[in-house]
This record gives sequence, structure tokens and C-alpha cells, in this order.
Amino acid sequence: MFYRRAGIRHTRYQDERQLFPLRFDRWLILLVLGFLVLAPFTLDRLYLAGYLLPWLIWSTAALGLNLVMGGAGQIHLGYGAVMAIGAYGSVHLVRYGVPLEIAMIAGGLLSATIGIIFGAAALRVKGIYLAMATLAMQYIVDFVISQTPAISGGSLATIQVPPVRFLGFSVRGDVETYFVALSVCVLVTLFMLNVRRTSFGRALAAVREKDYAAQILGVSTFKYKLLAFWVSSFIGGVVGSVLAVCYLRAVSPDQFHIELSIQLLAMVIVGGLGSVLGPFFGAALILFAPIVLNNLMGLISTTLGVSMSIDLRAHVPLMAYGALVIGFLLYEPLGLAKIYDNLRNYLLVWPFRHAQR
Amino acid sequence: MSVNRRIFLSGTAAALAAPAVSTTGAFAQEKVVRFTLSQDFTRIYTFVTSEYNQGQRDYFTLVNERGGINGYRIVADVSDHANDLPRAIEAYERGKREGSVLIDPLSTPVARALVPRALEDKVNLVTAYSGRSDAADGTSFPYVLPLSINYWTQAGLIIDYFRQIENGNLRGKKVVFVHIDTPFGKEPLPILQVLAQRLGFELLPFPYTPPGNDQAAIWPQVRRARPDFVIFWGAGVGQTVALTEAIRNGMRMDRVSSSVWISESDMDVVGREAAKGVLKVEPCVSGREPKPIRDILAEVVAKGKGAGPEAKVGTSYYNYGVQMGSLMVEGVRKAFEKAPNGPVTGPWLNEGLRSISNFTAEGLLPPTTVSKEDHQGGGLGRISRWDGAKFVPATDWFTANQDIVWAEIRKYSEEFRRSGK
Repeated sequence: MFYRRAGIRHTRYQDERQLFPLRFDRWLILLVLGFLVLAPFTLDRLYLAGYLLPWLIWSTAALGLNLVMGGAGQIHLGYGAVMAIGAYGSVHLVRYGVPLEIAMIAGGLLSATIGIIFGAAALRVKGIYLAMATLAMQYIVDFVISQTPAISGGSLATIQVPPVRFLGFSVRGDVETYFVALSVCVLVTLFMLNVRRTSFGRALAAVREKDYAAQILGVSTFKYKLLAFWVSSFIGGVVGSVLAVCYLRAVSPDQFHIELSIQLLAMVIVGGLGSVLGPFFGAALILFAPIVLNNLMGLISTTLGVSMSIDLRAHVPLMAYGALVIGFLLYEPLGLAKIYDNLRNYLLVWPFRHAQR
Repeated sequence: MSVNRRIFLSGTAAALAAPAVSTTGAFAQEKVVRFTLSQDFTRIYTFVTSEYNQGQRDYFTLVNERGGINGYRIVADVSDHANDLPRAIEAYERGKREGSVLIDPLSTPVARALVPRALEDKVNLVTAYSGRSDAADGTSFPYVLPLSINYWTQAGLIIDYFRQIENGNLRGKKVVFVHIDTPFGKEPLPILQVLAQRLGFELLPFPYTPPGNDQAAIWPQVRRARPDFVIFWGAGVGQTVALTEAIRNGMRMDRVSSSVWISESDMDVVGREAAKGVLKVEPCVSGREPKPIRDILAEVVAKGKGAGPEAKVGTSYYNYGVQMGSLMVEGVRKAFEKAPNGPVTGPWLNEGLRSISNFTAEGLLPPTTVSKEDHQGGGLGRISRWDGAKFVPATDWFTANQDIVWAEIRKYSEEFRRSGK
């Protein structure tokens, strides 16, 4: 119906090679991008600062994690720590007067350097053992940060982010922070869309499917596993610094605990391993389902006059949220991206039910 | 299968579309003062929060039942942020949009993330027993209001009480500080170190790893150190475990003290008899004796309008809630005195909250004076002893070592001001 793939025949290589071969997809992307760019000027601040901004930041982080998990098939339970390194690194640099753009990249490089050390474990171990190695990273980084007053900032353990400028604009209000987060998100998304078409992406896929088969094919698993950790840690570090500067505005160790890593992991899995769209869906669900369910419960109890103890009211959304996640895993283990894909495939050839691939 | 999936999909779509629904408008025309009580009911603080919150809401009900303040009713929006920052920030933004003039997140990480926003938006952020201790300096943090004795003051009070026990001389004594190994647990350390130097006692810190449900490795070491006094510092489950271990290792209970975070509910776990003698810092009277609590029992709970189980009325955390509720309401009252016609905004309430003077909530609190300089409310507290059934005051309201505490407060607030520019 909308997509109208039937009958399209590419006559030039460029057409075949473009990121979005379908016109409808292109328009959809433009529409979403247009909405995102215009959002600060049309949407209420609640939706901008309360929903869109965290969604962009968490989606970008999930994209970075998805590269190492969905792309290279390496389990990573310490992504929160990676973000912490980037956040602390860049905030400290900014406090020393380094411009934010450079501090962000430096934070990313710092994360990548430390991330790759733990990623090296991936050369020896796999699966659950790698999960434990990265979990260790989470705890070691947590420990080092909270035990080093020079990093965490003394007995209050909170470092304020000083006012900063990004590419000449002061990053202060909601609109500016939003655009910084948006531009980083767009860059990372573009990178992710393209990476699968490069030799790097293909090598990662080979490593993901069977690492020794990849080695036999001539793909250096040593090199590509490390590269996967390097790139994803770099992205994690940059996102960590975006999170600190644009959203939290003050860094403290308890913002980057294991909960953050688990949250990101859930986003990647619920969203869809290995897809680019998935992290966006996953982040939206994991971030907002509890909020929405909570508000719904609040609405029900105030408007319908249902008297409910606050403990029950607080726990019902939790149960519903758990059921929701289990439901996704039962009915669509490939994640939300796959649900969208099914929908798209159905509409591609509508009104016909099946079409030749 | 396909039907299942369709139902599943439409359900998801409905859930995703729901944020558009909001609670605005229900009270829009009425005369209300709106507070946001987005707190952690599910993740870490659980029963602490529900008792605290119950106290707050019961007090607001009491005020509203009596006709409100100046014809205005107090409306409290309660929600759960589960100590999760995106959820807390959403709740804050939502509250702000709906005209809330005060937010009480009761969570240190959340409060710390909300500080820059609250200062910018001029929304009163109450950080009782949480958040930044240096917010006691009202000149640097005009919109962040602890309204309660911070952890540095609490440590100062405990040490001073120990000094009183030893007839004013702690020289050569051993004080063990068992704490959770997080920024919160380590917070009192600088104060204790300065005091150790000044009073000549030996300070031995023993950190345990969070969340603290196993402290078996620490306490035998504590016993071996043969301390004269023990201070244990944690929150939630760590407190109960610490107390159990202290009892098991034969510490003298009347020489063991904690911060404000120990309650009747913890005693039920430890064993009410076994914990006899243990000390804590009390920021307000516990039990059902104070007049506001009796009023709540008579005018709210008896009429079936209580916010939670009646058994919890008068417990420590419940009374902390009433304490905070009464301070907030007193702030509203003062604000109406200054500007009777409002408009009800953050700065309007801020003026009121920062001019509370000698307020005791009819005997529930020590005389509390919040000024534009001092957001701690004067730093008065007392030490209480558990007698097996309730906490009995061991001292009168007093304050101690405020010079050291304020030196620390100034050090950090100065730093905050410098980096905020």
C-alpha cells in the first residue's frame, strides 16, 4: 500500500546501493527528522525534556551497545561503566577549560582505551564467561570512581557540569541540549546504517555467526573483536558525556551503576539485536512503559476514584511492565524492530498476502 | 497466533499513545497549592518511603480537612520514580507543568540530578535526609531546601553525645565507623576526622560493600578492634544487618548509634528485645504523643481517610513525613502572610519556606528556623535510645560541632558556586 515495492526495477547501481531504496522509507525518515528538528519549537517542555531528550540519549547508547552485541555477537554487561568513563573523563576536561567538542571525543577515546582492555577478554572467552568479564568491568569501574575522590569529587561525590559551548552555541537551555543530543544521535545512527555495508560490518557479522569459521575465511577475529569493543566503547563514551552535559548536568557515581547497564541491555534485546531501528523502539519501551503505566494508574485512581494504597499503585505498573517484557520475548523474540518489519513486509505487497522475495 | 499478535500490537500502541493523557485540568479552577511527591516506592527505599509518604499525606489531609490554608487546599501528586533518573525528571517536568511549586523526591541521586533544574526553574526542591548536604547554605542553593539536619550534623551530634557519656573527654577512646561503601556512607568521614583530631579519639572506619546484606566479614574485625563506641551508617537492608551483627558480636548496645535511618520496622526484623539500648539521631519526636499525630489519629485516621495502615502511624519514618509535611505547610502559611494573594508560584513559596522561624509543629519538632542563609533549620536534633518498645529521648534537643559542619558546607557550596558559573 504505502511502500509499493512491486514493480520497482533498479536501472542504476546507485539506486540499488542507496540506504533507503523505497521512496516511502525516505519520506518517512524525512518526516521523523523534520519532526525531531521542529520539536523544540512546537512541543511542550515536558515532552521535550521529559521524553524526547532521554529517548535520543538512551537510543544512541543502545545503538553503541547493539554494535558489540547484535553486530559482533559479544555480550557486554558493563556498558554503564563505559558511559561513566566517558562522562567523568569529559566533565573533568571541560572543568579544565577544554572545549566540549574535544572533551567529548577525548571522553570517547578514554572509554575506548579502557573498554578495549576488558574487551580483550573476549579473545579468550565467550558467552556467559564474557558476560562475567564485562560485569567485572562494571564493578571495577564503579569501585575506582567512588573510591577516588579526585575523580568522584570529594565527600559529596557530585561534580557539577560547568556551562559549556558546543560549536559556538551555549549549551544551557532545553533546546540547545536537545540539539546536541540530536546531532550526536543522527551521527551515530548514520554510522550504524552504513557500517553493515562496509567490510568491517561484514567481518563483524562473520565473527558473530561463528568466530572460528570467520577465522578460516580469513577474517582476523582478534582484530575485529577488539575493533568492535573499541568502536562501541568510543560511542559509549561520547554518549556518556552527552548524558552528563545535556541531561544530568551533574555527574555522581550512582548514575552509572549496573542498573544502567541492565537497562541498556534490555533496550537492545527488546528492541531487536542487530537492527538499527531496534534500539530506538527498545529505548522508548524500556524508558517510558513504566512512566506511562504509572501515570495511567495515577489517572485511574484519581479520576475513577478507585482507592488504592500507594504501595499497590506503585507496584502494579511494575508487574504490568514485567508482563509486557515477557510478552515481547514470548511472541516476538526478535524484538520490536521485527514487529515493525513484519508490518512493513505485509504492507509492501498489500493487498496480497504473500509475495516472492 | 495472528490474532494474538494483533491484540498484542494494538495493546502496545495504546500504551505508547497514553502519555498524551494527562491529569491536568482536574483541579485547574480550584484554589490549590500543588506539591509533587515523586518518590521511590519500589526500588531501594521501599518501606521507608511508604511510611514517610503516608505521614506527609495524612498531614496534608489534616490541613485540608480543617479548611486548608487561606482557603487553599494542598494537593500532593504522588508517583513512583524508583530511583530512576529519567522517570524522576519526567515526574519533575510534569509536576512543573501542572503548576507544582515544590518537589520532594526523597532520593539522593534524584535530588542531585534535579538541583540544577530546580535552581533554574525556581521550583522548591525539598531534600530531607538526602541530596546534597551543602544545600544547607541557602545563599548558594536558594531553591534547594533540606529543612532537616544533614548527615554531617548528625555525625557531629553523635560524637558530642559520646563525649557527654565520657564526661566531656574522648581522649584515647576508640570510635568505630561502620559504613556502606558508597558516597552516602562516606559522607560523614571528613567531619569525623576533624573531630577525631580535635577531641583526641581514634577513628576506625570499616566500609562494607553495598547493598550490605552480608557484613559478616567486617564485624569480627570491629570486635577485635575493641571499640569504645560504634557508629553504623547505611540505609535500607544494610542497617538491619549491621544492627544484627553488632548484637551478635557483643557490642554494648548503649554505645552503638546510627543516623536518622533506623526505625521500629528495623527493630521488628532484628528483634525488639535484642536491640534494647541502641541509639539513633532523632530529628523529631517519634511515637503518637505529639499533638499533630494525635490530631491525625482523631481527625483523619478515625474517619477512614488515612493514607495507609493505622499501625504505621507514629513510627519514626511516619513522623519524619509529618515533620516535612508540617514544614511545607508552614512555608505555605508564611508565604500567604507575606503575599496573601499569591500568585502561587515557586518563588512565592520560597519566600515563605525561608522565613520559617521557631516552628515546632506543636511539639513535634525541635524549634526550627529556616532562613535565607541556613536551610538546615538550625541544626537541632537529639539522641534517642531504643527501650525495647519505642525510642526514648536520651538527650534534650541540642546542636553540636556546627563550626566544623559549616566549614564543610561552605567548602562545597563555594565549589558549587564556582563551577556553576
